[in-house]
Amino acid sequence: MASPVLELRNLHKYFGALTVTNDVSLNVMPGQLHALIGPNGAGKTTLIQQVYGALKPEQGSIHLDGQNITNLKTPARIRAGIGRSFQISNVLMDFTVLENSIIAEQARQRKTFQFFTPAFSDKKLIAGAKIILDRVGLADRAKQKVADLAHGERRMLELALATAASPSLLLLDEPMAGAGPEDSQRMTDIISELSKNIAVLLIEHDMDAVFKLADQITVLVAGSVIASGSSYEISRNDAVRAAYLGDDAA
Amino acid sequence: MIELSNKTTFAKLMVNAIKANQLLWLLLALFALFPAVSYIFDQPFWNDVAMRIMILGMAAMGLNLALGYGGMVSFGHAAFIGVGAYCVGICGYYGITSGWIHLLLSITLCAGLGLIIGFLSLRTSGIYFIMITLAFAQMLFFLFVSLETFGGDDGMSIDRSEFTIINLYEPLQLYILVWLALLIVATSLMFIVHSRFGVTLRGIKSNESRIEAMGLTPLHFKIVAYVISAIICGIAGTLFASWQEYVSPDIMHWSRSGELMIIIVLGGLGTLAGPLLGAIAFLLLEEFLPGLLHTLVPNYAENWMIVFGPLLVAVVLFGRGGIAGLIDKYAPKISEGKN
Repeated sequence: MASPVLELRNLHKYFGALTVTNDVSLNVMPGQLHALIGPNGAGKTTLIQQVYGALKPEQGSIHLDGQNITNLKTPARIRAGIGRSFQISNVLMDFTVLENSIIAEQARQRKTFQFFTPAFSDKKLIAGAKIILDRVGLADRAKQKVADLAHGERRMLELALATAASPSLLLLDEPMAGAGPEDSQRMTDIISELSKNIAVLLIEHDMDAVFKLADQITVLVAGSVIASGSSYEISRNDAVRAAYLGDDAA
Repeated sequence: MIELSNKTTFAKLMVNAIKANQLLWLLLALFALFPAVSYIFDQPFWNDVAMRIMILGMAAMGLNLALGYGGMVSFGHAAFIGVGAYCVGICGYYGITSGWIHLLLSITLCAGLGLIIGFLSLRTSGIYFIMITLAFAQMLFFLFVSLETFGGDDGMSIDRSEFTIINLYEPLQLYILVWLALLIVATSLMFIVHSRFGVTLRGIKSNESRIEAMGLTPLHFKIVAYVISAIICGIAGTLFASWQEYVSPDIMHWSRSGELMIIIVLGGLGTLAGPLLGAIAFLLLEEFLPGLLHTLVPNYAENWMIVFGPLLVAVVLFGRGGIAGLIDKYAPKISEGKN
């Protein structure tokens, strides 16, 4: 059996007296899209923040490709192979789409402390940046200022930046949030395409998308895992139906 | 650092860079020709004003790398100007008159101080960063006030630095040295802000957490930018000392740091030509506004700030992007390239 890309072992996180992550263990296997669902306040984003390195768990450990990354800082974790998109669009607003991608491309190459040759007119960087944009179908919007992009396109750009360095694990925090039906569909297609090569941990409230995309679903309620399994298993699980989906769902 | 592919020669890069930053190079050319103008009009005093503009503009360009490009609102950069100036004064006191040593010492000290201050203060952001940089600058200010040997509060008079064959007591030679320094600083900054480092720095200003999500550590870039900006201010200070032949703690007073910020905002935040334009506008207003005010409303000349203040507010409110922004809007042909 293949070893997991991401392995969370008995994570605990407290905010004061409040337990936000309660003994969570979870594996994301290679090529798997693992969705994390649960009602608001279940601790989904808090869990992702621990994987990302923005929050430190009180107990337990996090392993990426077999390496213990629990004590690494965020940039080191990214370099170890994590890509992330955020709940609120997180792109470089003052730049064009291509410039965003160029900055990501040079970060991917890890050649950023160069002080002489202009970056935005560097042909090699532009070529690399275009490949990144092609993955999400934004190449034709390259010259556009990000501030002038539609919301959906910004989400796509963020996805492109998150996958620029070909990470082994992609953390997606509500990529469909605020997107219209058309954008959601496009996003679903792109994520589906990306997840063929990259393991994905996805938080999403759009249940249609989750059930379409996920190979495995883990349900988090009040910081604890109450169920984990395939879409089919989850949709049949009584505890999940009671706690979260409601009786008429799925 | 310097990495050129076979096809791109330095000359080609330079030509492209000049084309992309015409406004900056126009200003540099004007400063180069200016002594001829003041010679024709027989007004050597004008050269003095031009030199002051260049030195202050250079310091503002340095601060602009941190403030305009890196988004670091440092309220203490006058301290670096002061350290650079005192390098000349204190060296002179001990009989070291070589300008090269003055410059080297100033660069080393400002780099070291910039590293320490940057390292400590860049862990904070927003108002805390402003206050900590101000606090460090005030510490240095009071340090020099307390140094009685070097004049304390009253400051010390200075013999101009000696640069091998250049004689700074020849006004034109001093002018050329200042202009050359400005040229070097401006060219370096032009390459830095468009380089991989520069665009990453601008990315950090735009959205720090996205840069972090790319696997980079924003703090490293900010510290390097902060150190470079401190060094440039130090160089400006070293030249200023020779120009003024006098230095006192007043040069590093917090209001001087404020002036530098005003110059940048007035000229155009995060543009290459902005700080120079700002310095021109600021010093010309400072020079001529009192006289103008005197002819309009006699006896109120010393209150020229009452006109200057609202003017600055107007620039911030209506001319966002400062003078460089206005030129960009009304004369896009000579404005700064958007690359």
